[in-house]
Amino acid sequence: MLHGISGFIIRRLLLGLLTLLLVSLVVFAATQALPGDPARAILGRSATPDSLRALREQLNLNQSAIVQYGDWLKGLVTGDLGTSLAAHEPVSQVIGKRIENSAVLMLFAALISIPLAVAIGAVTARRRDSTFDHGMSVGLLGLAALPEFVVAILLVVLLGTTVFQVLPAVSLIPPQDHAWEHPKELVLPVLTLVIAVTPYISRIMRASMVEVLESDYVEMARLKGMPEQKVLWRHAVPNGIAPTIQVVALNLAYLAGGIVVVEFVFGYPGIGAAFVDAVANRDIPVVQALAIVIAAVYVFLNVAADVVTILVSPRLRTSLR
Amino acid sequence: MSDDRNPINPEESRRGLTRDELLRRAAAGGALLLSGGGMASVADAATRAAAPKRGGTFRIGVSGGSVKDIIDGQNIVTRPDQARIVTAWEQLVEFDSNFRLQFTGLAEEITPKSASVWTIRVRDGIEFSNGKTLSADDVMYSIRRLIDPKLGLFGGAALSSVDPKGMKKLDKRTVRLKLKRPDATILDALGQYIANIVPVGYSPKAVGKAKPNVGTGPYVLKSFAPGQQSVHVRNPNYWRSGQPYFDQVVIIDFTDDTARVNALLGGQIDAMTDVPPAQVAVVNGHSGTKVLESPSAAWTPICMRVDAAPFNDVRVRQAMRLIADRPQMIAQALAGHGQVGNDLYAIFDPAFNHSLPQRHQDIARAKSLLKAAGHEKLTIDLQSTNGALGMNEGAQVFAQQAKAAGVTVNVKILDSGAFYSNNYLKWTFSTDFWGTRNYLSQVAAGSLPSSPYNETHWPDAARKQFLSLYKQALATVNTEKRAAITQQMQSLEYKYGGYIIWGFSTLLDGYSTKVQGLKKGDKGVLPLNAFGHGYRSIWFG
Repeated sequence: MLHGISGFIIRRLLLGLLTLLLVSLVVFAATQALPGDPARAILGRSATPDSLRALREQLNLNQSAIVQYGDWLKGLVTGDLGTSLAAHEPVSQVIGKRIENSAVLMLFAALISIPLAVAIGAVTARRRDSTFDHGMSVGLLGLAALPEFVVAILLVVLLGTTVFQVLPAVSLIPPQDHAWEHPKELVLPVLTLVIAVTPYISRIMRASMVEVLESDYVEMARLKGMPEQKVLWRHAVPNGIAPTIQVVALNLAYLAGGIVVVEFVFGYPGIGAAFVDAVANRDIPVVQALAIVIAAVYVFLNVAADVVTILVSPRLRTSLR
Repeated sequence: MSDDRNPINPEESRRGLTRDELLRRAAAGGALLLSGGGMASVADAATRAAAPKRGGTFRIGVSGGSVKDIIDGQNIVTRPDQARIVTAWEQLVEFDSNFRLQFTGLAEEITPKSASVWTIRVRDGIEFSNGKTLSADDVMYSIRRLIDPKLGLFGGAALSSVDPKGMKKLDKRTVRLKLKRPDATILDALGQYIANIVPVGYSPKAVGKAKPNVGTGPYVLKSFAPGQQSVHVRNPNYWRSGQPYFDQVVIIDFTDDTARVNALLGGQIDAMTDVPPAQVAVVNGHSGTKVLESPSAAWTPICMRVDAAPFNDVRVRQAMRLIADRPQMIAQALAGHGQVGNDLYAIFDPAFNHSLPQRHQDIARAKSLLKAAGHEKLTIDLQSTNGALGMNEGAQVFAQQAKAAGVTVNVKILDSGAFYSNNYLKWTFSTDFWGTRNYLSQVAAGSLPSSPYNETHWPDAARKQFLSLYKQALATVNTEKRAAITQQMQSLEYKYGGYIIWGFSTLLDGYSTKVQGLKKGDKGVLPLNAFGHGYRSIWFG
């Protein structure tokens, strides 16, 4: 038996792998569920007997589903994601750059929204029931209620096309460049994601901070005469943040899958656009690969959140010993 | 010969394409551009002003596109491929703004000795972008490549009468084609926008790699990322003097309609294809951008199988055609951006039969025809899919109209995979889409037992004379005589055919007003005046 933090992490990782295995089964089964013959569904009107035969061979459709799944899983483990049916190139080449671009988008969105949300949550909890608190609460609820494509379109109308033309309405990033070389193109999509994610995190942060601020040790710290700022940031926030971490992870995971819409609106060359493209083209190897990538991000974030939660909570930390 | 007709516009493009991709409106025609014609043949006052100026980078956003994008001088798969093929390659003959063939292309003449022997002579002194002189060998290589069954290029179907062994080089600029059978539509086939001339030995494998992309066209490829964008620079060796005007052309794929419109409004691109009908007012209302409307002969028919009940009774077909309120279908299904149809395709054909009266909705007659046929209270499924703008929309409006005649039409909107399954071309009642073509070419593509896409199974047993008329037309080089024959054929289809052709869509494309040289009302096969004739007839003012 493994003990302590490292044992815990290893157990969580193994469970994560098991989840991924189950996901791979579902993804594979879903692609089998295409109506009729998948090869015909892929080729559509352009199907000829020759092209059908060739594609069936390429997809291994002549073999049993179990053999097909085994082959695919083997490829997945060895890093061979297969060949894109649409691009006739290795899947890794088709989606590699896209994953990088989406990761950049997600990273910037996370780096801005998490500290911002934590700060908003802490300050509104500290000034509970003030006008500021109520104002923020209404504003954040309003933003949370807006679907992100609405936010995106409003931002485009405001800053890209109709009212002011200060930022590019569409993120045209030349294919050979890295996304971070075009900061201007990143502003609107990142802003949209920040607006989509911040309200949730800050609401949770506020709720848990309200609880913490009423606890005995905060009272004690105040009675000792500690400056209020120090009470808030040194004592209350580290304890209030634990429940928030789970929400942060959920929101980041949501970003991994949910940026599809945002990328689409801004024409941003990330996995969202690639995913839509692959589904439209019935490019099954790419769909499978992207589904697995996104699932892996979910699993990783959840494991990471569990680990971080334990590390920041002394009670949980010691209970593992 | 320059008055010859029947440009072919194989929509075969669609064979290669998934519907969503290419063409919302299936503009797979063969042409370089088209102006004037029915609606407004006068150049846009705003654009005829100043003399062309050189310079600048022209950026265009094109709908559709994906990692499936290719660059091949004689093939396309997606709509952005159409935008790219015109940069570097040209045809022997070209369609003008009125959808008439003209010898403005690489051939100075193409003359028939009979309907099965044709002589092609190319212009003197035209050079490819690498400096090689255009010769008879290039023409022979290009035609052979187009019809090579191993490559399966869709432009080859229209050239099926060409005998690869019957081609002979007469001198360095002249080729004689001996066809396998008489074929008066050969010029149409050579005018398709994918029937381009490539140099001997051309292969797209060289594209973007070691070897440059060689053609006679106004631009040379600099870089290409499928599904994203391509960059093209001016061909300094171009044969039309003074052209092109831009230093560089950037062609960008835009899957999302909203993103494309936003990029145009925000000034990130200078032109775009396929403005959604609902956004026309937005683009026109924004200062500095406009919508260019070009009538097209693209159509989204409702197809009735003439050999299956209930449509094997001609009275039922006639009743269905009388149910359609065509102006209302245009207004609702195409948001008013189209032209009313008369159950006949190939509306741009010089031999289009205008003498047949426009069909109007006549519910009373439709009811009595159905009654006579014993199909009162008919209930039937209509299969459709989102292949092109107008398919699903037209089907739904038609279903509403059918209620008045006591007919229940259940519109079944299928996933494209299910629609184009084994049942495709076997549906009793379905929608489909076609691009701009002339009459005989369209007959070959969709109205013969040998056609690859005959949805209606036309002609029915009682109309077999249609087939002999078709053969006769192909063998007739004389334009007037051929027109008389094709009008008889059209009259048969008008009376007994299986298509409900309710309208033709209008191409709607957006541009920044700093772009000069675009003409309103050009008969459109490719958007934006065939992309400014390969981006050479437009410039920044």
